[in-house]
Amino acid sequence: MTKFFSLALVSFFSFHSLLAQEIPDVKLATLDGNNFQTQKFNESVGKLVVLSFWATWCIPCINELSVINDNLEGWHEKLAFDLYAISEDDSRTTKRVQPLINGKGWSMPILLDKNQDLKRALNIASIPYTVVVKNGKIIFRHLGYVVGDENQLYKIIQDNQ
Amino acid sequence: MYLRRILLLLMASSTFYAKGQLSGSLETNAALYVDDSKIKLEQIEARNRLRSNSYFRLDYKLNNLTAGVQFESYEPKALLNYSPRLNKTNLGNYYLNYKNDKLKLDVTVGHFYGQFGSGLVFRSWEDRQLGIANSVVGGMVKFSPLESVHLTGLYGKQRNGLGFDFSDGVVGGINGDAEISSLLKIKKVKFGLGLSYVNRNEVVTDLSSLNNNTYLTSLRGDFSAGGFSADWEYAFKSKDALVEFNNLRPDLQFDGDAYLINLGFTKKGFGVTANLRRSENFGFYSQRNLSGNVYNEGFLNYVPALTKQYDYALTNIYVYAAQPNISFEPNRNKAGEIGGQFDIFYQFKKHTPLGGKFGTNISLNYAQWHGLSGKYDALNRKYEAPKLAFGQKYYQDISLEIRKKWSSKWSSVVTYLNQYYNIRFVEEAVGEVKANTIVIDNTLRFNKSKSIRCELQHQWAEGGFDNWAAAQVEFNFNAVWSVFALDLYNFGNTEQAKRLHFYNFGTSYNKGACRITASYGRQRGGLICVGGVCRFVPQSVGFNLGVNLSF
Repeated sequence: MTKFFSLALVSFFSFHSLLAQEIPDVKLATLDGNNFQTQKFNESVGKLVVLSFWATWCIPCINELSVINDNLEGWHEKLAFDLYAISEDDSRTTKRVQPLINGKGWSMPILLDKNQDLKRALNIASIPYTVVVKNGKIIFRHLGYVVGDENQLYKIIQDNQ
Repeated sequence: MYLRRILLLLMASSTFYAKGQLSGSLETNAALYVDDSKIKLEQIEARNRLRSNSYFRLDYKLNNLTAGVQFESYEPKALLNYSPRLNKTNLGNYYLNYKNDKLKLDVTVGHFYGQFGSGLVFRSWEDRQLGIANSVVGGMVKFSPLESVHLTGLYGKQRNGLGFDFSDGVVGGINGDAEISSLLKIKKVKFGLGLSYVNRNEVVTDLSSLNNNTYLTSLRGDFSAGGFSADWEYAFKSKDALVEFNNLRPDLQFDGDAYLINLGFTKKGFGVTANLRRSENFGFYSQRNLSGNVYNEGFLNYVPALTKQYDYALTNIYVYAAQPNISFEPNRNKAGEIGGQFDIFYQFKKHTPLGGKFGTNISLNYAQWHGLSGKYDALNRKYEAPKLAFGQKYYQDISLEIRKKWSSKWSSVVTYLNQYYNIRFVEEAVGEVKANTIVIDNTLRFNKSKSIRCELQHQWAEGGFDNWAAAQVEFNFNAVWSVFALDLYNFGNTEQAKRLHFYNFGTSYNKGACRITASYGRQRGGLICVGGVCRFVPQSVGFNLGVNLSF
């Protein structure tokens, strides 16, 4: 086990600062059934891309996206960024996504990651999870949501305009 | 030595190929189980009081190639009630992927995850909390000859435990999806078709009467126009031997099928859906003798419970798990399930009497599931079940969730849940439960990052564990630190000795993609369920440490 952890920790310290990561190219689906390649997130030049991973059954995720949605219009007036809410619902609950977001009146674009391919490719252990991409590189990752995290996200977007 | 070599290799290769990119993650969940005056570990488990499950993953991408490896460590032993196959430190999975967008080609050798359609005929995925890691080891090719036609072919064995512990059965599958409306350049409506075929070849040498091949096939379609959407799927399973108490019964062979219909209508501020399904003998495992195993090993398909998934402690005591399998027992014959669920989501707009200043959201869910009614002969292991006959009720729930923001500082979520849960059929134990649960979840925000969250829960139940009460308080000092304390009290249990407090308190540190949690407390025994799949855990008490890092 010692070897296991030394391997893990040495790798983290060796590579962590060394390599800024791109978003892996994975096929997601839009709500109207079209394919969406995540490569597109890397191609956004000069405009930040914010990815918020959530699911219909995840209460903190819904809390986070509800707060973000309430602020979104104001944020967009001041700052340039695109925000996508990426649903990690599998076939048990994926049919609930569209009515839920309409029922809540959310306005951000939604993408479906039905077998958690993007979540796995980004090494995301659990949701809610936020990723900010600038010129094709991930500049911020955050796991979990507590009240106030949206202010931190706003600051990151603001500082990277 | 073995790990060191791999590490050196990885470091060398990453320095060499400085153009590539490396990413990875580490997750550790460790527990030190201690006994207290009420809860004690079983003697056989008490030999290892310190346990941990750890996962370390590295992926390296260079141009069109990505390679990855996941090590897993269950040392000195896996957490309580994980499969005994998950033992010591070893390779979990490894893969090499080639992807070429121009050729519309995606090829993986090694371990891969995937899903055909809704997963009814094939799904492989990982859920660490449930101990599910059923990747297939072999090869998978995805190819899109046209923009709206997608083909997948796969072949391999399924991962069972660690290292090179694979299933006996060999899996081969093909899948095709076509967006017909796009092919015909129709814009106003969308419709498409999908077709899958998955075969398992498992040779049982001493049972020549058994066909080595068992297949699942599915035909499905979808349609949407405006706010309306509908899709359907029919899936068939060829004849396979019944497995009873780990014994193969080649003299008893049954085929199976499943029907699934999803309907939805939605517009801004409103949404409604219906999901209906009937499944008969539809469990499918990569190895026959894994049928119905308690560790969730060898799943080849995904038959989720189509009920709402709840997120509060007391709403997760009686969780329905889908019942697609056959089992014979006088007064408890099962061959599948039939039922459905309905959802309504509605938003009362801002500045209306019910919406108030900030608007109010409500969601309503109703789910009901039955066994298949029919003629059962438990002695001779025979049955006949008509397609549309509802048998014994297995589960029913009605829930209402109201979300309300009262002011910029205060918001609430109120949940009411009414349940019927048939323990006799769902858990194959004794009894049934009728329960009513209320959860009031309040969040108060003091300033930009300081807040307190307080949950109050109560469950009135007849049968099962009887009445519960629970409370949870979570205080967030800032975006990084928070502390929590919770107590679940089974005050109504008919057995005095089981009227226990299941308390837990702890802290969490959360910065960027690093999360560390430490807690002490009692774990309620029972089922832990995610996505309608459950894992049984015994009661325990102890210290827990969780670490999550990714880069």
